[in-house]
Amino acid sequence: MSSSPTKKTFVVTRFDPDQDEHPRTDTYEIPVREDWKVLDALNYIKDEVDPTLSHRWSCRMAVCGSCGMQVNGEPKLTCKTALAEYGDTVVVAPLANFPVVRDLVVEMEAFMEKFKAVKPWMIHAKERAAEEGTYLQSPAELQAFKQFSMCINCMLCYAACPVVANEPSFLGPAAVALGHRYNQDSRDDGDAERNEVFREDGGVFACSYANECSEVCPKNVDPAAAVQQAKLLNVLDWAKSFVVPRGGKS
Amino acid sequence: MLKLEPVIWGLFGAGMMVGVLLFPAWLLVGTLAVPLGIAPAEALSHERALALAGSLPGRVLLAAAIALPLWAGAHHLRHLAIDFGGIARDALVGSLCYAVALAGTVLAVVAVVRL
Repeated sequence: MSSSPTKKTFVVTRFDPDQDEHPRTDTYEIPVREDWKVLDALNYIKDEVDPTLSHRWSCRMAVCGSCGMQVNGEPKLTCKTALAEYGDTVVVAPLANFPVVRDLVVEMEAFMEKFKAVKPWMIHAKERAAEEGTYLQSPAELQAFKQFSMCINCMLCYAACPVVANEPSFLGPAAVALGHRYNQDSRDDGDAERNEVFREDGGVFACSYANECSEVCPKNVDPAAAVQQAKLLNVLDWAKSFVVPRGGKS
Repeated sequence: MLKLEPVIWGLFGAGMMVGVLLFPAWLLVGTLAVPLGIAPAEALSHERALALAGSLPGRVLLAAAIALPLWAGAHHLRHLAIDFGGIARDALVGSLCYAVALAGTVLAVVAVVRL
């Protein structure tokens, strides 16, 4: 580590709904350590320079999904993004495509509603009695959905998605990936209900496959794959409805 | 229109497959292999090509090769329009795009039937 700390300039978006009509920026020049993440710098600013700065964070280990922000214009988990990746000036703004509550904090209500819409819980056609034992699953059956269960709801994919930007009602990458995760789960029987949601206005077919969601996902979930798979399954579902009444289900 | 999304996306996907997989092969044969003499010139002689196109698989393939990429193109154009101009006029733009694809499909089917 160098003896004299390096300095970096942070251009941070500020917005106080009680005072500001539009977001503005504040500039902070602070000493940084070479092993710092972007979040460390924001915490330094809040602790040492300007206690009025508001930003969300919690776990500092890319698990809680709270600290997503635009760093130099790209959606990033700030706890996972090394400052060393950037030059002398780092621009930090709230996640794109979300209403701003204050400074770097965005409003998540609409996002949570989209999550609820895809019924992200196990739906059983017939509840199994306790004496029938647990729901068993083979490694291959687990593999079919495991990837999509790794989402931490950080919303970076919504900030990156050009369809969300144009069409705020779009269900969006994470919600589709989550719904698809349950549809692919061998223990679940809720496909038909979720596919109805997927086929609504702003459902999976609103996606134009820009693939940005998968590009920015910090957990390598590949939500774009989930959306494309969900599209194909819905096409097959639709086709099947002509051949077999009620999609083959009694 | 949105209730038809699975159909449209299915046609779009099929059109992409035709455009990405079939067209390059056909172009390779028609614009390179035959003119360069790699394939014999009579391979695509008028009589042979007509006989191939006139068979039932030939007619189906020809109609698909004309119609499906039209749906792929229409779907792309509609989404491009959303990307650049927003969702507000999607119903109008989408209907126009798909109307052209539908008209092309009808023409393609009529053409191969009358071949």
